[in-house]
Amino acid sequence: MCTYILRRMVSAIAVMAMVGIFIFVLLRLAPGDPAAIMAGRNATAEAIAGIREQLGLNEPLPVQFMLWVSSMLHGDFGTSIFSGRPVFELVLQRLEPTLSLSLMTLALSVTLGVSLGVLAAWRAGGLLDRTLTLFATLGYSVPVFVVGYFLVYLLAIGAGWLPVQGYVQIENGLGGWFAHLVLPTVTLSLPYIALIARITRASMLEVLSEDYMRTAAAKGASAYAMLVHHALKNAGVPILTVVGLSFAYLIGGVVLTETVFNIPGVGRMVVDAVNSRDYPIIQSVLIMVSGLYVLINLAVDLAYTLIDPRIRY
Amino acid sequence: MTISRRNMMKVGLAAGAALSLPSVLRAQTAPSDARTVRWVPDGILQVFDPLVSTANETSQHSLAIYDTLFALDSKGLPQPQMVEKWGLSDDKKTYTFHLREGQAFHDGSPVTAADCVASVRRWGQADAGGKVIMESVKDISKNDDRTFTITLTQPLPLLIPSLASAAGLYLAVMREKDASRPVTEQVTANIGSGPFKFNEALARPGASFVYDRNENYVPRKEAPDGFAGGKVVNVDRVIWNYLADQQTAFAALQAGEVDLVQAPASDLYPAIESDPNLELEIMNKAGTNMFLRLNCLQPPFNNVKARQAMLHLIDQEAVMRAAGFDPKYINPVTSIFGRTTPYSNDENTGWYKKGGDLEGAKQLFQEAGYAGEKVVVLQTSDWPAASNAALYLANTLRKIGVNAELASSDWSGFTARRSNKGPVEDGGWSIFISDWSDSKFGNPLDIPALLANGDDAWYGWPKNDEYEALRAKWGDVDTLQERQALAREMQRLSWDFVGTVMLGHYVSPVARRKSLTGLVSVLSVVYPMWNMQKA
Repeated sequence: MCTYILRRMVSAIAVMAMVGIFIFVLLRLAPGDPAAIMAGRNATAEAIAGIREQLGLNEPLPVQFMLWVSSMLHGDFGTSIFSGRPVFELVLQRLEPTLSLSLMTLALSVTLGVSLGVLAAWRAGGLLDRTLTLFATLGYSVPVFVVGYFLVYLLAIGAGWLPVQGYVQIENGLGGWFAHLVLPTVTLSLPYIALIARITRASMLEVLSEDYMRTAAAKGASAYAMLVHHALKNAGVPILTVVGLSFAYLIGGVVLTETVFNIPGVGRMVVDAVNSRDYPIIQSVLIMVSGLYVLINLAVDLAYTLIDPRIRY
Repeated sequence: MTISRRNMMKVGLAAGAALSLPSVLRAQTAPSDARTVRWVPDGILQVFDPLVSTANETSQHSLAIYDTLFALDSKGLPQPQMVEKWGLSDDKKTYTFHLREGQAFHDGSPVTAADCVASVRRWGQADAGGKVIMESVKDISKNDDRTFTITLTQPLPLLIPSLASAAGLYLAVMREKDASRPVTEQVTANIGSGPFKFNEALARPGASFVYDRNENYVPRKEAPDGFAGGKVVNVDRVIWNYLADQQTAFAALQAGEVDLVQAPASDLYPAIESDPNLELEIMNKAGTNMFLRLNCLQPPFNNVKARQAMLHLIDQEAVMRAAGFDPKYINPVTSIFGRTTPYSNDENTGWYKKGGDLEGAKQLFQEAGYAGEKVVVLQTSDWPAASNAALYLANTLRKIGVNAELASSDWSGFTARRSNKGPVEDGGWSIFISDWSDSKFGNPLDIPALLANGDDAWYGWPKNDEYEALRAKWGDVDTLQERQALAREMQRLSWDFVGTVMLGHYVSPVARRKSLTGLVSVLSVVYPMWNMQKA
């Protein structure tokens, strides 16, 4: 097990290095100039040239790359070209909203998705199954912003029950924190509930047709015991895979939800950084996210052993 | 300990109370909602130094935290601001400025003449108009802590308007140690002597910034008038909350979560007007001119006839509507000096025709010997108005047989491409669209779009020596009438060589809750935050 984890950690470093090179080259090949953006829409070429010089953007690319690698190896993620603040500090500021939204979304998606999937499989072909299938299709097809605007109109502007937008840090009160996350969480959860429900249903149907399930039924096991203790555990591997991938995606890919609900998370920070070509932010965040992906995948792989003792590393 | 429901509830309540404690403590120090204005700015504040960036957000940030020696009133005339009184020597070459008493920076240090001298010098290195002025400056020196002088080599009537930042970069007075930094190096200390203090601890770059009332600020006695007069702050805090999505910003305004949206999308105007709690208000009385630049170095626009054709082609009303502006807020503009400046005039504007003149434009393209060369129109995908205008323009060009092609990119890609002087086949361009506050068109020394000095000119690089000779006289002319006459002469030439083509004039109202009152109107796209109050 330890050797396996060690091997995966080494491969994580290799993956992060490749991502780093790829991102660095891609950003420099893409048209755009942070100095021009910094100077503003109506700046003169002379002013832009001065800022380029000051920012060190005139240095040869290999020199810029080596400077970046060197600072990364020393644990320095660089400084934002625009705000002049350390990237690590900026990421930390944005991490709480993103983690809050991701974890709440994951919790709601797994709870509802798995429950609905199990129920649909249990009543396969019936009204409940067809209703849930319809919900799953809708949940997966309707764009996030449509659901978001609809919920805002209904529950925030219409009923006035919830805030329209923004984020309140946990340290400023749990009530405000929770209230501001309800709408984005519900909005963002819908496609994940649908996805997890469909995967659970398919996986459960496969397991429910196994001989040992018939044996359990013949032994007089209750529906609950059959579904939860026998079937769900055996159907768990693909569900866990989807949950792991969903979490990894949620960490870096909830830009639309963050935009609609004005949540200052990591996703929006990266998009803003891409728009303004704030290289240090883009590079560092993508490196961190790639490392996180590898770690989440590793955690999922290790979790397999908990639900299926046949899997060993 | 066994885990029981009762124990779990106890632990939960204890954790909740512990997590809520900081907010209870903070509530005692944070300003109340009634004394806090939540403001949605037009864009993200990215650069904090007013001499490093021309971005409106940067100027607006600077306007809040820094003060200025002079400021423009609602008529665009310079009035003393930090300066208490000033005098001019008989030979009109020495200006003496005496500062108001009681001015201090946010760190508590007093504002001195040395700070002003360093700030003017730094501004003179960065601003186009400042550079022109510096050419005539013999010396800037401190007399005592509250007095300094600017000695010129020749009389310069434009000195005071320029110090009031009439057109160019914002002359913010900084501490001497900040103002001594190179102009290419951003000052991020954010310590000024203005009516608001920047709250560094609550700054969330890309998301929100907080400005607290400077309780030590001593406003002038006069009533607020444009950027001039007394900057009285009636609220304790202004929070800039950047909302990227217009629909969300509108919903937040409706729900009372924000008090003002600086630049609401025009398609939301009817919804705003129909809400009894909301109102549209025009803060920028001067409005903004949208215009296009032609690449004078490459075919077909290296031929003056082709450039003149563009003047005839444009149907300003149609372009502005296509750009997405509300017809109520658009107007034609035919002067290179804008629509509302004292120098706006009708010299050599025979090309203007309501609805445009497609046949006239086609004829001029033929006279230019246009042979189907590709015309690349740069389209900025993240600026909807300019993007729509570019799309419309390309279609109009195709209607008269011009081989127009759109080159779409985000703003960053656009800025890189427009500096390319080469042919379109090598990544160059033919046309791009920009805009500028109308009030800035009143000073041809400061606004790069009014330069025609070839390689040194703004993107498009028009060249006309006769025009440049007239422009050089701008700073020397003494009276308004003389300058207006000079403006007519310059415009006559300008509409002949055509470096810039006007697309139209628009004003953008802000959307505010009716409970927020006292907004100060200005002739600028940069808005003051003083004087407003919440009911």
